[in-house]
Amino acid sequence: MVLLSAPLWLRSRLSDRFWRVQEVLKYARHFRGRKNRCYKLAIRNVQRAFVKSTQARKQKKRFLRALWITRIEAASLEHGLKYSAFVSNLFKTQVELNRKMIADLAIYEPKTFKSLAALAQRRRQEGFLAALGDGKEPEGIFSRIVHHY
Amino acid sequence: VAKTSLTSPPWPEVKLPDPVEEAKHHAEVVQKVNEMIATGQYGRLFAVVHFASKQYKITSEDLIMMDNVLQAECGDRIRMEKVLLVGADDFTLIGRPLLGRDLVRVEATVIEKTVSWEKINMRFRKKRNYQRKKIITNPQTVLRINSIEIFPCLS
Repeated sequence: MVLLSAPLWLRSRLSDRFWRVQEVLKYARHFRGRKNRCYKLAIRNVQRAFVKSTQARKQKKRFLRALWITRIEAASLEHGLKYSAFVSNLFKTQVELNRKMIADLAIYEPKTFKSLAALAQRRRQEGFLAALGDGKEPEGIFSRIVHHY
Repeated sequence: VAKTSLTSPPWPEVKLPDPVEEAKHHAEVVQKVNEMIATGQYGRLFAVVHFASKQYKITSEDLIMMDNVLQAECGDRIRMEKVLLVGADDFTLIGRPLLGRDLVRVEATVIEKTVSWEKINMRFRKKRNYQRKKIITNPQTVLRINSIEIFPCLS
C-alpha cells in the first residue's frame, strides 16, 4: 500500500548528526576558546574564516606586488637609482622581466641586478641627451632665445 | 663673463663615452664571453623562463608547478622556448625581450598531473540568510627541469 499524502508519512530523524557537526568543527580545531568545541559558536566563526580567506586570496596578490616593489626600490637605491627611474628605463630597453623576477634576482643574483641597474642608468642618460637636443637655437623668429651678457 | 647660478643648467651634465671605443669594448666582451661558453668555463646556469603566463627563475634539477593543465603525458620531454635571461657566475645574457632559440636550450619533463588542495570560496551576507559555499580544486602540473644549455653563437 503506497502512502501518498505527506502528513501520513513517518517523521524521519537524523542518524548522522555527529558527522555533519564534525565536518564543520574540523575547520575550527585551531581556534581559541569555546569556539573550537561548541558547534553553535563554531559555525559563525568558521563562516567568517572562509569569507576572509576568499578575500585574502585577492589581497595577497596586491601585498606581494607591493613587497616586490619595496625590495626592488631598496636594491636599486644601493646602486644609486630610484625605483621609478630603474623600472621605466628597463621597460624602455625592452627587457620584460616582471617585478617578482627582478626582486628574486636582486636577492639571489646580485651581480645580475647590478648589470640591470647599469643598463637602466645608461638608458636614462641617453634619454636625457636625446631630450636636451643639439644645444643649438631653434629655427624661427619667435622661438629665438635672447642672450643678455 | 662671470659665472652665475643660471649660466649652466641645474641638472648634472651627462657625457656618453666615445662610440668608437665603446664598439671596440663591446666586441671584446662578446668575444670573451663566446670563448668562455665554447670552452665551458661556467658553473651552474640559471635562466628566467616565461611559462604558463608566469615567469620562473630555474636551474637544472629544479621542480616547477603550474596551476593549469598541460597537453602532454607524464614523462614527456618539453623544450621551453621563451627564455628572458640566462646567467652564470661570471656573465649574464639579457634578452630584449627574448633570447634567441639557437642560443639557449631548456629541457623539462612532466612528472605528475594532480589536483590542488580544496580551496573554499564562501560568500556571506549577515542578517540576510545569504551564504554560498563553493569548493575549488585547480588542476596542477609538476615539471622537472632537466638541463639548461647555451651555445656560443653571440654576435
